Amino acid sequence: MAAKQAIQVGTKIVKPVLSTNHAEARLRVLSLYKAWYRQIPYIVKEFDIPKSENQCREKLKELFMTNKDVTDIRVIDLLVIKGQMELQESVNMWKQKGHIMAYFKPTEEPKPKGFLSKFFNSNE
Amino acid sequence: MLRQPLCRALALSSPARAVPLASRSYSNPVPAEPEKVEVFINDKPVYVAPGTTVLQAAAQVGVEIPRFCYHERLAVAGNCRMCLVEVERSPKPVAACAMPVMKGMRVKTDSDLTRKAREGVMEFLLVNHPLDCPICDQGGECDLQDQSMAFGSDRSRFTDVHFSGKRAVEDKDIGPLIKTIMTRCIHCTRCIRFASEVAGVDDFGTTGRGTDMQVGTYVEKMLLSELSGNVIDLCPVGALTSKPYSFAARPWETRRIDSVDVLDPLGSNIVVTTRTNEVLRILPRTNEEINEEWLSDKSRFACDGLKRQRLVTPMMTDSRGNLMPVDWEDAIVAAARALRDCPPNKLLAVAGDMADAESLVALKDLVNRLGSENTCTEQYFPLDGAGIDLRSSYLCNTKIANVEDADFVLLIGTNVRFEAPLLNARIRKAYVHKDTDVALIGPKVDLTYDYMHVGDSASVVKISPRGPEGSALLAYTQELACKLQDKLQDKEWKVLNVLQRTASQVAALDLGYQPGVGKALQDGPKVVYLLGADSGVVSRDQLPKDAFVIYQGHHGDAGAAMADVVLPGAAYTEKRATFVNAEGRAQQTLVAVAPPGMAREDWKIIRALSEVIGERLPYDNLDEVRDRLSEISPALVAYGDVQENNYFAQARALAQSLQKPVSGKLDVQLKHLEDFFMTDTISRASPTMAKCIQAVLKQKDSPY
Repeated sequence: MAAKQAIQVGTKIVKPVLSTNHAEARLRVLSLYKAWYRQIPYIVKEFDIPKSENQCREKLKELFMTNKDVTDIRVIDLLVIKGQMELQESVNMWKQKGHIMAYFKPTEEPKPKGFLSKFFNSNE
Repeated sequence: MLRQPLCRALALSSPARAVPLASRSYSNPVPAEPEKVEVFINDKPVYVAPGTTVLQAAAQVGVEIPRFCYHERLAVAGNCRMCLVEVERSPKPVAACAMPVMKGMRVKTDSDLTRKAREGVMEFLLVNHPLDCPICDQGGECDLQDQSMAFGSDRSRFTDVHFSGKRAVEDKDIGPLIKTIMTRCIHCTRCIRFASEVAGVDDFGTTGRGTDMQVGTYVEKMLLSELSGNVIDLCPVGALTSKPYSFAARPWETRRIDSVDVLDPLGSNIVVTTRTNEVLRILPRTNEEINEEWLSDKSRFACDGLKRQRLVTPMMTDSRGNLMPVDWEDAIVAAARALRDCPPNKLLAVAGDMADAESLVALKDLVNRLGSENTCTEQYFPLDGAGIDLRSSYLCNTKIANVEDADFVLLIGTNVRFEAPLLNARIRKAYVHKDTDVALIGPKVDLTYDYMHVGDSASVVKISPRGPEGSALLAYTQELACKLQDKLQDKEWKVLNVLQRTASQVAALDLGYQPGVGKALQDGPKVVYLLGADSGVVSRDQLPKDAFVIYQGHHGDAGAAMADVVLPGAAYTEKRATFVNAEGRAQQTLVAVAPPGMAREDWKIIRALSEVIGERLPYDNLDEVRDRLSEISPALVAYGDVQENNYFAQARALAQSLQKPVSGKLDVQLKHLEDFFMTDTISRASPTMAKCIQAVLKQKDSPY
């Protein structure tokens, strides 16, 4: 019984979210990237944010690159879906200026790293 | 057993009992185990030793019988009647706490008769108990409340038709620690039995009979005991409550954090009760190996000192020599500069009496990295001979719990009653229940039991059975202990016990600190790092004029007053830290509240300092510090365990050359109760402790 279960677990095939292989997932990511890239001039103009198109492109690349080490296809797919939702919200002006600016984290202070800066900056 | 311990305790306290040394035979052979008796609790068979009470037998099968007066550690009184149970073929219900089991006894703890008896008892108790639970401090942790809910009747027959009121009793004044509302008293006499049996103060008693019965001290008198706070825990109702904690909080509002006490060397287990980042009270936590379920008054009531006189910000002396608050950066940089520029042999680190093992190891590592070996503790201990190389020569090797099994206790130069109150309670327990004989070399003090006073001259240690020149005294004591040990049948029994006086000393000696600062001070140190060293061993006039003093600690006391830089640390309730008690048992405190203001955990301050100096210590979190501790000695992180100590013979051999003639008198610092209350920074800052001293001094003036 237990052995059977073990085999079942070992040979279990997960249900794909969208893509069945890496190439397909990669394609989805690239097309999402391109869609965002093309939308950037309109975002800058319509939301009237104090950022240039180049700055936004850099931010776009940075946000995509934060997930560069994700290898699980299902996770990649879900990230793509989330990215599409965000894009839709931007295109349709469901987002507001602050939501776009939140990508740049203007008010967030970096957390202290290292023993000494933690000691001096936080109360621990 | 039954009533016997009480009678025995009373008989023992009579002055007629001299110490019959010659007529005593030691190590009596243990009598063979008597045959066990079968009894039935609710038809469940259980085998117990004859002489066991019904209540204890029931406890063995997991049936808890309600009780008020019965307490495991006190003599049986049998007067509350709450533990009445039905026994088959017995005409009346019997008191389970006082009834020894008999063969084939069938006990019913949940029958109609039993329940009716309990209901009746409860009704009688409540007739004369005020209904003031909403304003009673015991509310929420009251045995009477709980048991009236569980076993009481659901309606009352008490109708005060004549408006005569319930019984009312005048409150007593028994000192600044215990608040008495004697109307609430249900006459369980636990406090009386505790005072006379455990604390050894026969002041409590009852007067009158029936409705007029009163528990009190006969004449208005303070309860002059260092263990008095325990009657608060013992009292099943709100008759005796804590005065400092009165009307402070309800038990369900508070958080309880298990911790360890550091105000005496025993490391009693405690529960720290907190609310809104404030320590409200400290209660004992049962640990059979150390404190049973008692706690000394200083450990229990000095917690209000944790809120006073605290160092909350780093400080530095300004140009006029006044300490001014500064940022952590400035203080650390100033301290680091002084430490870095100091010639290695002119650097001295002194650890105080409440330093934890983590900060001790960090400080020692730092000082060693700077090229100095001068790490000292405040308390002196002889270094000659085996010194602190063998762990057995500075620990309570017998272990605290085993003191109860001793046949004879010789106390040399200690007033154990105030240096380690719960150890004294153990000795008293042995004295009362096992007829242990006690002898004392040192000044004549009140130990709460009779002892043979051998004199206070140090030379007695050498002469008697076959020394304050510390090392010679220790050498003679080791010699004596080894000689006695050779004669014992039980080869595992350790004779030599050294009682350290502070909570940090054992850990410091384990880590290689030098005990005593005498020699290091003579070298004229340029930079002195005080790690909570407040006992006044190091003072400004012993140091060179230009000496730079860095003080790290939690209270503004002697150490901070003389410092150039003050680094605020955390007290024992505010950090997770290791303390090793007098028997060598490592225990850890847990964080109950956050350190106040900008204060930080102690080892972190030293770690930060090391990085600024440029000698980075290789640990960034607590686990890594503890790894370092275990590298030095695994015993330091074996929480709760005690290692067996050996090498007594080797220590004796090394000490043989030191057996020089000793002269002088042995003396102790804490002679009277008023000396006991303020011994360290926390208790010196505590207003309750100050009130205690005032009350004791006032009591001494009173004619009683």
